[in-house]
Amino acid sequence: MAKFILKRLAFLPVVMLCVTMLLFAILQLLTPEMRASLYVKDPRQLAAVDQIIEKYGLRDPVYKQWGRWLSQVAHGDLGYSETAKMPVADAIRAFFPATLELTVLSFIPILLLGVFFGTLSAVYKDKWLDQTTRFVAITGYSLPSFVLGLLLLMVFYGKLQLFPPGRYSLDTDLLVHGESFRHVTGLLSLDCLLNGEFKAWLDVAKHLVLPAATLVYIDLALLLRITRSSMLEELGKDYIRTAKAKGLPGAVIVRKHALKNALIPVVTLSSLIFITLLGGVVITETVFDYPGIGRWGVVAAQQLDIAGVLGSTMLAAMLFVAANLVSDILYAVVDPRIRVG
Amino acid sequence: MSMKKISLLLVLGLCCPTSLKAKAFDPETFTYLTFSDADSLDPAWSYDTASHAIILNVYEPLFWFHETSTEKLDPLIAAKVPSKANGLISPDGRTYTIPIRKGIKFHDGTPMTPEDVRYSIVRFLLFDRNAGPSSLLMQPILGYPSTRDESGKLKPDCWKDAMKAVEVKGDTLVLHIPKPYAPLLTLLASWAPALSKQWVVKNGGWDGSEATWAAFNNPKKESSPLHEKTNGTGPFKVERWDRATKQFILLRNDAYWRKPARLKRVIVKSVDDANARKLELAAGDADNIYADRPVYTQVSNIPGVDIIDDLPMMEMNPVAFFTFKINAAGNPYVGSGKLDGQGIPPDFFSDVDVRKGFAYSMDYAGFIRDVSRGKGTQATGCIPKSLPGYNPKQPVYSLDPKKAEEHFRKAFAGQVWDNGFTFTLTYNTANTPRQMLGQMLKRRVESLNPKFRIDVRPIDWPAFLDGQRNSKLPIFLLGWNADYPDPHNFAFPMVHSQGDYPHNQHYANAKADKLIDQALYETDIVKRKQLYAQVQAIEYDDVPHLVIQDTVRFRTQRDWVKGWYHNPIFPDAPYASYFYPMYKEQRKP
Amino acid sequence: MKERLFEVWKQLRSKPMSLLGFGLIAFFTLVAVAAPILAPPEKNSRDAYLMPQDGYSPDPVRPHWQETPEKHRHLFGTTEGQYDLYYGMVWGTRTAFQVALIVVMSSLAAGILIGGAAGFYGGWIDELMMRFTDIILAFPDLILAVVIVAVTRPSIHNVMISVAAVSWPSYARLLRGDVLSIKERDFVSAARALGASDFRILGRHIIPNCIYPLLVVASLSMGRIVITAAALSFLGLGAPVGYADWGQLISLSRNWLLGSSGNPFEYWHTVFIPGFTIFLFVLGWNLLGDAVRDILDPRQK
Repeated sequence: MAKFILKRLAFLPVVMLCVTMLLFAILQLLTPEMRASLYVKDPRQLAAVDQIIEKYGLRDPVYKQWGRWLSQVAHGDLGYSETAKMPVADAIRAFFPATLELTVLSFIPILLLGVFFGTLSAVYKDKWLDQTTRFVAITGYSLPSFVLGLLLLMVFYGKLQLFPPGRYSLDTDLLVHGESFRHVTGLLSLDCLLNGEFKAWLDVAKHLVLPAATLVYIDLALLLRITRSSMLEELGKDYIRTAKAKGLPGAVIVRKHALKNALIPVVTLSSLIFITLLGGVVITETVFDYPGIGRWGVVAAQQLDIAGVLGSTMLAAMLFVAANLVSDILYAVVDPRIRVG
Repeated sequence: MSMKKISLLLVLGLCCPTSLKAKAFDPETFTYLTFSDADSLDPAWSYDTASHAIILNVYEPLFWFHETSTEKLDPLIAAKVPSKANGLISPDGRTYTIPIRKGIKFHDGTPMTPEDVRYSIVRFLLFDRNAGPSSLLMQPILGYPSTRDESGKLKPDCWKDAMKAVEVKGDTLVLHIPKPYAPLLTLLASWAPALSKQWVVKNGGWDGSEATWAAFNNPKKESSPLHEKTNGTGPFKVERWDRATKQFILLRNDAYWRKPARLKRVIVKSVDDANARKLELAAGDADNIYADRPVYTQVSNIPGVDIIDDLPMMEMNPVAFFTFKINAAGNPYVGSGKLDGQGIPPDFFSDVDVRKGFAYSMDYAGFIRDVSRGKGTQATGCIPKSLPGYNPKQPVYSLDPKKAEEHFRKAFAGQVWDNGFTFTLTYNTANTPRQMLGQMLKRRVESLNPKFRIDVRPIDWPAFLDGQRNSKLPIFLLGWNADYPDPHNFAFPMVHSQGDYPHNQHYANAKADKLIDQALYETDIVKRKQLYAQVQAIEYDDVPHLVIQDTVRFRTQRDWVKGWYHNPIFPDAPYASYFYPMYKEQRKP
Repeated sequence: MKERLFEVWKQLRSKPMSLLGFGLIAFFTLVAVAAPILAPPEKNSRDAYLMPQDGYSPDPVRPHWQETPEKHRHLFGTTEGQYDLYYGMVWGTRTAFQVALIVVMSSLAAGILIGGAAGFYGGWIDELMMRFTDIILAFPDLILAVVIVAVTRPSIHNVMISVAAVSWPSYARLLRGDVLSIKERDFVSAARALGASDFRILGRHIIPNCIYPLLVVASLSMGRIVITAAALSFLGLGAPVGYADWGQLISLSRNWLLGSSGNPFEYWHTVFIPGFTIFLFVLGWNLLGDAVRDILDPRQK
């Protein structure tokens, strides 16, 4: 097991290297002028395009640019993100906690609600409970996050003025950047509680409600569906039938036998769902003006801010590998039939 | 547990709706929601309006525009505005003596000296980053536009030239310039504000010596300490630039050399979404916002919100530029590349009749009526209404299908009319007025002759830059905003063969070049106006581009905002503001 | 055969949700097929997918039934830039089908090829293919899609390419996992012991046993793909302005979400009509996905 984990960890740098290589390979398709567009935003700067290309070495072959970037990284410098207006390392520090906070806060309800209602759905297959749950979940899954997000904003901010966009309001901003505020976890909602700032906590929570609700509603269906179908499969199996025949109570069957096995795909796929969630925050963060890694990544990609894309992608890649590792280990633990390695 | 937490959170949120709504009126905090991201706070680096909208509240140049005027200057950190009348400009117009005001302190408390002012100007000149603003002052003060030659190598004598051109004599700053230069004072009212030399050096910046200037020339942005740190003399200090939430928090400078500002705190925040900006304004959380003509109907009639309209601008936008010599190699925009009806030849727009055909096919009045909602007037040439040199008597083109047909029939000895043409007209993505301009041109030109075909295509900025730079775009739509309030800043980039646009269009008119050069060094305003009138007459005959409108814009702010005035030269005017004279006062109910 | 169809119909009738799914997709198919009849293109139009534009004013015109008689030329009204919304919805159906079908087909094919081979052969093939899959999966998919579109220039084709490029790895991974698990089962070992060829084992025993989850996920992702493509359009990376594409119509509505003051829902149609249409289309596919699984999955009978 330890060997397996080590092997996967050793693989991490390889993934990173390949990720960056792939990105630079895609960039091969661009002309130097297109790459210069990151630095030339105004018609008044048009005359300087050639000099910009020269200055940043944009005419060099892509492998050279990749090499340059790698050696820079080897020296501990992740580069400067032109879209975030700060060094990539600072940008990650600034954006990542915000995204993590939003994602974790959305993932927990997804997991709990998904497994709970998924199991119920399977047990009461084709009853009204099953139908309703599935319909509600499937409508969420069918809603584009920008449509849902904009509608929620319209109602809850525009009309009711309950939940504003952004991450916090001005008062909280001044408070958390003040000298007496201790940053313990980086997760603002936790830090506010730890600092005993209830009002600020409420403010942060208010800003999280809409984006988290959007994510939960949209991504709930996936987990629910997996739980339900996996549960149905288990319930249809011989050993369950035998148990039923033996007269074991339904709840015990579900809890003791079926659920344990049915959770195998749930466990393996939940890491993927977490990654989906991380990827899915892109639009949600954009709509709610939430300063996270997704919004940064998408703007960087749109504007060909290579350092920014690399920074945000590498981070996501790292998380992905970690999440996968966890999932593989869990997979091996819950399903001994699978040989690891 | 966690589910409980979430539900608790939801319940609590729903229980306390008041904290958002009933926010007390705060007369000392001003919030402005913008649309653009600032680039850098280093005055020698930044060339974008969003950065300068902050810089003008934090750093101070020698002079300042007198309220709404773009011509009359007030001294700011200078004690007097030099003129020939007061003897501070030498009779030959080449020596400027500028007395420096005493008793000014930087935000860190150190007093400002004439040496600081000199250092700031020299640093601005020699910083010279690619695509930066340094050339604006280098041209008048040093006589050449760059510290580097064509191949990018440093010119060795720049430091010495700068030391000779800018010097301190007692309490005055003396400028020795190679040729009289009409817009110099207005340039000094917008660029190269005063930095504290000692502070810059302390933060790892240039020490002003000859030995090190090359090392600080054309740096990468991240290497400049002034990119995020500020220490000016202005009425506000930068408390924090939060680049994650894209906002600036400015605090009043209580030790300001004039009476301190009335606003205590200013928030400038970039919010991408127009709806969010509008909502915050309507809720009273924002005091003024960026709102453009297309969303006019949505921001008008909000209770408690004023719209101040018909504000003149110093811009020419949109403009349709013709490329005289199109680079046809691998060019997707020119069809077959021949005049066979399926494409256009590379020299298609070098025929003046083709260009005039287009000029008579544009519905200028319709554009102003529909796209600009009836605001603004038709432009008469490259110089906007708000500048001297604007010539109201200059004839203009108007929609005239008969004349358009006449010219198209003449073009290429009748071949254009007989064979027709196909090409792609491009504009940069997400610019609605330019998109509308393209579509209007297309519809009118195509209705003249079924063989005329124009595809209107938005292309994103990287592709646009590539195409424009390599002269691949047959017609491209862009605009121009002023760097400083002077007609030269429009005539040169739009008509002069070395200008930013004609250079890539391959348009050249020797007579126009001569007139523009002459006007630049002419200090007599009447003569200058005559010269620019001639330039615009040539522009009318040559039609290197189509100018459409003299734009007017509107400002959207809460009715409690007082003391604001419009000056078209302010960056991002009329949305951003010079906050010093402003305050908030609620109307008595 | 007749009996089988009757069986399917019986099942469908007992499940109103599946019926709804079939109904929705049938409706959209009909609209897509009949687009030239439902919304005939303008006479001089060179590309029927370009929406006709009625004037240049920025303000949307409200739908037919809400507008004063002199302005009611547009059934669903117009959106920003005076594009006819009804026309856009009708022809956008074709665009949506194209995007969804092409992307699903190509990414499913790639997923089966790579995931199946990796799971079945194991060893270095598995290692190589799965590591490649991991690398693609390691990208946040929307960001990778945005990078691909931004580099290859925004267009509807590049949107399809980029969405396909980020969609196949999840199929590959899912299939590989199932193949791996089924491979270990007795009946496969039995077939192997009997000397069945690789191809036979794969085709007869393994793929049929793990194709259903894949098909379910594929029919589910049909909707997801429409949403991703629409999201790219929403970010301004999709079809050029004026092209009949639902995602773009929503992005055109972005400025009009709140209507004018005093009438917050004045321009409701600009976001609601395309938003609700995408929702119904995706919902149709998702319900269909459920139905497909319920009907085809032999394990549930």
